[in-house]
Amino acid sequence: MCVGETVGFPGVHGDGSSVVRPSGLRVLALVTEAFGGRGGIAQYNRDFLSALARCDRVGDVIVLPRFSARSVRTLAPGIRQLRPVESKIGYSLNALWTAITQQPIDIVFCGHLNMAQLAAGICKVLNVPLWLQVHGVEVFWRKLTALERRSVESATIVTSVSRHTRRRLLHCVGIDPSRVKVLSNTVDLQYRPGPKPNYLLDRHAASGKKVLMTVSRLSNFDRYKGHDRVIRILRRLLEQHPETIYLIVGDGENRPRLEKLAVEYQVAKSVQFAGLVTPEELPDYFRLADVFVMPSTCEGFGIVFLEAMATGIRVIGGNKDGSRDPLCDGELGTLVDPESDEQLASAILAALDDPARTDDRSGRFKPEAFREYVNALHHFFSVQSCHSVATQMVLQREETAA
Amino acid sequence: MCGIAGIYAYQYAANAVDRNELRCIRDHMAVRGPDGFGEWYSQDGRVGFGHRRLTIIDLSERGAQPMVSADGKLVVTFNGEIYNYRQLRTSLEAKGYRFRTQTDTEVLLHLYAEKGEAMVHDLRGMFAFGLWDAEKNALLLARDPYGIKPLYYADDGWTLRFASQVKALLAGEKVSRDPEPAGWVGFCLFGSVPEPFTTYQEIRALPAGSTLWVDRVGAHQTKQYFSIANTYCQAQAGSSPVYEEHQQLGAREALLDSVRHHLVADVPVGAFLSSGIDSGALVGLMRDAGQQEIQTVTVAFEEFRGSSEDEAPIAAEVASRYGTRHTTRVVTEQEFRNDLPKIIEAMDQPTIDGLNTWFVSKAARELGLKVAISGLGGDELFGGYPSFREVPLCVRALAIPGRIPGLGDLTRLLISRGLSHFVNPKAAGLLKYGGSYASAYFLRRGLFMPWELQAVMNADTARLGLRRLNPIRHIEALLEPKPTNSFCRVAVLESSLYMRNQLLRDTDWASMAHSLEVRVPLVDSILLSQFARITTKHGSQSKRPLADSPRIPLPPKVIERPKTGFTTPIQSWLQRDNRTQEWRRVPALAARKCAWARRWAFQVSTATAAA
Repeated sequence: MCVGETVGFPGVHGDGSSVVRPSGLRVLALVTEAFGGRGGIAQYNRDFLSALARCDRVGDVIVLPRFSARSVRTLAPGIRQLRPVESKIGYSLNALWTAITQQPIDIVFCGHLNMAQLAAGICKVLNVPLWLQVHGVEVFWRKLTALERRSVESATIVTSVSRHTRRRLLHCVGIDPSRVKVLSNTVDLQYRPGPKPNYLLDRHAASGKKVLMTVSRLSNFDRYKGHDRVIRILRRLLEQHPETIYLIVGDGENRPRLEKLAVEYQVAKSVQFAGLVTPEELPDYFRLADVFVMPSTCEGFGIVFLEAMATGIRVIGGNKDGSRDPLCDGELGTLVDPESDEQLASAILAALDDPARTDDRSGRFKPEAFREYVNALHHFFSVQSCHSVATQMVLQREETAA
Repeated sequence: MCGIAGIYAYQYAANAVDRNELRCIRDHMAVRGPDGFGEWYSQDGRVGFGHRRLTIIDLSERGAQPMVSADGKLVVTFNGEIYNYRQLRTSLEAKGYRFRTQTDTEVLLHLYAEKGEAMVHDLRGMFAFGLWDAEKNALLLARDPYGIKPLYYADDGWTLRFASQVKALLAGEKVSRDPEPAGWVGFCLFGSVPEPFTTYQEIRALPAGSTLWVDRVGAHQTKQYFSIANTYCQAQAGSSPVYEEHQQLGAREALLDSVRHHLVADVPVGAFLSSGIDSGALVGLMRDAGQQEIQTVTVAFEEFRGSSEDEAPIAAEVASRYGTRHTTRVVTEQEFRNDLPKIIEAMDQPTIDGLNTWFVSKAARELGLKVAISGLGGDELFGGYPSFREVPLCVRALAIPGRIPGLGDLTRLLISRGLSHFVNPKAAGLLKYGGSYASAYFLRRGLFMPWELQAVMNADTARLGLRRLNPIRHIEALLEPKPTNSFCRVAVLESSLYMRNQLLRDTDWASMAHSLEVRVPLVDSILLSQFARITTKHGSQSKRPLADSPRIPLPPKVIERPKTGFTTPIQSWLQRDNRTQEWRRVPALAARKCAWARRWAFQVSTATAAA
């Protein structure tokens, strides 16, 4: 069903496709990284842009990334990724240049709050609507400047990665809440249940042991993830489950501090640092684990929770942030107050007592649902923005072209 | 009159409806509907409706809600009364619709099937409902033109929940309690929380005269289908010359028509009676409409006995003139002290008023009434407030100095720095705010001025709230489209702000706390459009048309009595009550000449924020 029909919006044809110019709408996407990038935000952007390119009213998507770890050869039809420009000024000039030379641009998508001012400026120049994406940490960690706030408020639609991020954003900007939607992360199909891989059992001497695992970067910026809290209570866990390993996957400047902490709490023997793991090996690491734990306090969403649930292992997360979303308020995993050692310890103990694996529990977060929602939102977006002169013009242009 | 609730898990990742949560929300409103309760869930478990029922029309079980259409495609949970439901039913039956009950609820289902969302234009009455359209896979929320009945919703990005009360939504324990600075600032500025805000960030009021669609992408923008300003403007544009006698006849007939509609019920309808014209004339019109037995009730205070403030003797005289069964209920300080915690508990959102309605509703319920008529709205319709005179005067006098940039702020600063002990804070704002209708109204009705907020609330909250609420723009938006006539402008402002956010909200929580439905014949969109025609022409500032409308005239004492404003001894009771003394800690409030309402506002905000 097209949402345009639901609202019976005047001026929009019931059948959404009838107003689209033959070539479809052209989207300019300003993102930190997407295709060829690493990490959660890059994956999110890839999912999003691929979904957008498949929307029935969208013609093509021009992606302008700031970073790209690897070069990309093949992209989905309808997507064109330009060369990354790392310098801030260079990127801004390039974005403006692209916007002007790649006319007609119908919608600007902005993949990061840090670029919102640039994107809003371009939208103003081109007189087109802005679609802004927010993830989490960028909203939590600092106060928005007045200009950033106004940029967000100028967006026709904002998609947020979790309910928590949405709530935090609505706290600092005065935007109609109906324009702020939640579009959750997805999980890759390579994460699925399986036996503990032998090569990893050998590598970590984990045969016959229970594996408690956390996966994240270990930069100083990521201290909120809660490794400290797990190390602090590990002694208590070992008393009941002496054969437990706490496996910390990921690397960063915070690692030496955690190593010292493990020594300090006399659990160094039971804590292993796996360092950086390749994307190919990561699914196996989840299969190696019995319990995934990350008592985070500032998570935007926590895609690792989804990966863990997809492999069917027990999952424990914090109840104060975006982690509530992948764990579905406790339906798919155990939520604890991340500040409470008591709750954390008893949740981990319960999981270690009964580490039975389940089927893939991440079903609701598969890419199909995501794609459908983007498609539905896209209709919503077009209908909503009909209020603005910008889209009136887009529609007129479409009709003349048709 | 009832309590409604619903949950729609619209987003793909959201958990299915938690039945316990829905029951908690619903049953928090048990007192709104003590006669029955019900629930309904969609087959896929993504939608659930709850209902608490106060039986007034079709007392049988068939009238129970949520009500599902015969084909199972439409479901409604509804709070309110549709006064023209019989006419609507007749015309729907003529079109082939079959009815199973005698309720107005069923009319909603068929009318929606016939007209879709446009149905709201046909409804005369007070209502708030949630309607599930299974074919569209979408939820429609709607609220009556004036916002007599409340409807709040909380959307967290996955799930949308709605209910008749803010506190009910919180009772489900899944809605965030993060405070909304704009709601708190609004309360301090106006004495009531201005919609669409509430004191919680996640909870919003569906604005009066609006609808809201929620489908699988979530809530759309709210759509306004009725505006008081627009009604006056239309009347101005299309008004034709009317002769005096026709106008008089028109006014009487319009009033009688509204009262007649408001008497539709299968239980006795009583009336609140004061010494004023509004309630007295309504009782007279109830008689004219054919109601023989009328139970009236007046609240009196021992302290006022024998003084000019005592309303009881005049009310009794009106009652005996119209032959009603009349009860004067005396409220004592002891009773007030006992009730105060219950009042705070029942208060859905912070407000500085509603105490009188609490006691008169309590009295009505003690007499066995389920429905009572109130004269609320007469001052807005007939220009009964001093603001109808003062606001235009202020605008005329200050229009020119108000336009000099910076002058207002400068004088305000000079006064508040140097002369704050001698000059009233509102006087300090005169030059800043006096020059336009919106700002002059703000000045007239304001409880605190924006620059005083820091004395009673956290500076960050005040700044954030002021930015988000933007009080003057908020008021200006309600005045669009602008009627040209000054009377209409003030009427629009009084009806869309003070009446909507304060009087109607207070009447709702204070009466529903006693399971009493209050009906307001002077707050009616049809009546408004008829009177708008008359008042735009003549700018009537008199209640004469109302006073003259009953066939048996009101006692001259009532008509000639100068408007005093409703006074009660409650203020001095609160001053003496040692549980309501927190304001003494705030220097600005402890000052000797501080208005009582300000202290009470602070008291209410500390009590409700703590709860």
